[in-house]
Parts: sequence; structure tokens; C-alpha cells
Amino acid sequence: MSKETKYKLSRIVKIPAFLGILIGFFAALVQALIISAGGPEAYGFCVACHTRDLVNAFFNAFTGANLGLATISIVTPVLTIIGVIIGGYIAATRNKEFKVKKAKPIIYFLYFLGGIAVMNFALLLGACPYRAALRFAYGDLIALIGIFSIAGGVAVGVLTLLFIMKRRGFK
Amino acid sequence: MAEGFLVASAAIIIIPLVTLALGYLIGYLAQRSGFCSIGGMRDLMMFKHTRLFFGYLALIGGGFLGYLLFWAIIPSAFPNFYWLLNQSNPLTPIPGAPGGLSVFSYVILAIIGGFGMGFIGVALGGCPLRQIVMGTEGNLRSLFYVLGLAVGAIIFHAWVIQLVVGILP
Repeated sequence: MSKETKYKLSRIVKIPAFLGILIGFFAALVQALIISAGGPEAYGFCVACHTRDLVNAFFNAFTGANLGLATISIVTPVLTIIGVIIGGYIAATRNKEFKVKKAKPIIYFLYFLGGIAVMNFALLLGACPYRAALRFAYGDLIALIGIFSIAGGVAVGVLTLLFIMKRRGFK
Repeated sequence: MAEGFLVASAAIIIIPLVTLALGYLIGYLAQRSGFCSIGGMRDLMMFKHTRLFFGYLALIGGGFLGYLLFWAIIPSAFPNFYWLLNQSNPLTPIPGAPGGLSVFSYVILAIIGGFGMGFIGVALGGCPLRQIVMGTEGNLRSLFYVLGLAVGAIIFHAWVIQLVVGILP
């Protein structure tokens, strides 16, 4: 690969819209693969659901419990999240962006609680923001309601942030 | 049962490999581009930046085009893809949410779940994918967030789902 194409490639790789289209195509391809093993529809990529499947499959295997799973994950594991973790780590180290950032223990605890809350909200909707987009693309109007209420939550969050910033005297 | 590219016995071996490889690609590109859905909406509302938001729009568009393409190749794998076929009720819930509720309940759950995710996402600075990627960049806060995701999944399926199914019609 010449230097010029390498440079062009590194520019394209940094465009979020490129990744968005890629995830969309990937999700459709994965559905064509998993559907005959009984997988749900519009299930190609979902951060919350695929994490849930991995965790619950392990939990069931070790404790003998019977927590809920997507049909596909009863048959065979879906390893998207493992792939995301490996890919993110390799991308960060190769481009020298890996840097351990520490914080206070109370912040860790808040993020831990936030993770629990987000997982529960995501599973109530039946989708993280990514699967909500895929479900809407697939034709599920409930997912569109979900996307709009995510936008509503973001708007309230932004207003709160702006209010706090004003109180503390920025701008 | 709907039929895809693979028979069920081959799928058991191929699906983990394919999802691992494509997850790797997504993780790599997400780290390079800073892709984030909730961050995109936040940047649009706060700073009028559209870069990340276009990423989310491209996800919806790419998903639709992808489903259209693969539906044209192998229609049996997309039984409820309604935009063209229009043979199913567009409000049919797709499996993954708590099962067996009425449409009204799913709308309520979508509003509650979406609002909570959006608000907490802004408060903590990213959607689940962005948090996982920040964790791989060495951000210890985000690793605790990912741990919370894992514990939250167990909590949801052990207790919350029974509560929800008990309350809503």
C-alpha cells in the first residue's frame, strides 16, 4: 500500500458515518446467518443484548439458573462484544492512544450504578440505541418511539448540564 | 422456521467466528472514529455539531439498505421486513424485550427505557458502545460501567422482568 492510500484510508476510518453504514450492513448479514439457528430478528448488533447473552449464558452454566436469553444464544454464543473489546484495545495501542486514567472510588461506584441502570433501561426498551436504529430500519415503529424518547432523555440531560454549568459560572 | 444462508448445524460453528471478526472490525473503527449515538444527539443539541449524529443517521440508513439488499438475495431470512412486503403489523414487537405484553405496554416501556438511557448516557458521557471503547483505551471509570452492565443484566432477568410482567397488561 502506498503512503497516499494509507493516508486516505486513515481519514475514511475516522468518519463516524462510514462505521454507521458498515454496522447496518453487518447487522443484515448476521441476521441472514443467525435466523436459521432461531435468532431474533434485527439482532445483528446490540451492545446491551449481546452483553446480556454472554453474561447470562455464563451465569446459567455456572450456577444452574435459568435466566432469559435470546434464542440464538442458547444454541451458540454471540461474541460481538468480545470482538469490540479486542478491536478497541488493539486500535488504541497501535495508535498510541492507550492511557490508564484513574478517578476517585466514588466515581467508580457511580459509573457502576450507571451501568446497572443503563442495562435495565436498555432491556426494558429491548434494545440499546444501536439495536433501536436497526429495529426501526427493519420496520418496528416501537423502536422509533424509543429513539425519540432517547432524544428526549438526552435533551433533559443537556439542559441539566447547561444549568449546572451556568450555576458554576462558565460562559 | 425461517431459513438463512446456513443450516442450523453449521451456524453453531460459524456464528461465533463471524460475530467475533465483525465485532473486532466495529471495535477498531469505533475507537478510531469516536462513534457514539447518544454523544451524537448531545453534540447536536449542545454545540450544533453534526459529525457524530450523521454516524447514527447513517446507521439507520445503512441498516435499511443492508436489510433491503439481503432481503433481495434471500427473502426467507427476513420474514417481518415490512417496508416493502407490508404483510405484517409494523407494531409487532421483535423478540428481545419482555415477552407477551400488549402493544400499549411496549410503548410505555420504550418511553421509560429510552428516556432513562438518554439521560444517564449524557450524565456519564457516552452510550454503552462508547463506554466499552473508552474502557479499552484505559479509562478505568468505563471499565466499572461495563462491570455494571454485566451485573445489571443478571439483576434485570432475575427480578426486574418479573416485576414488569406483573405490573403491565
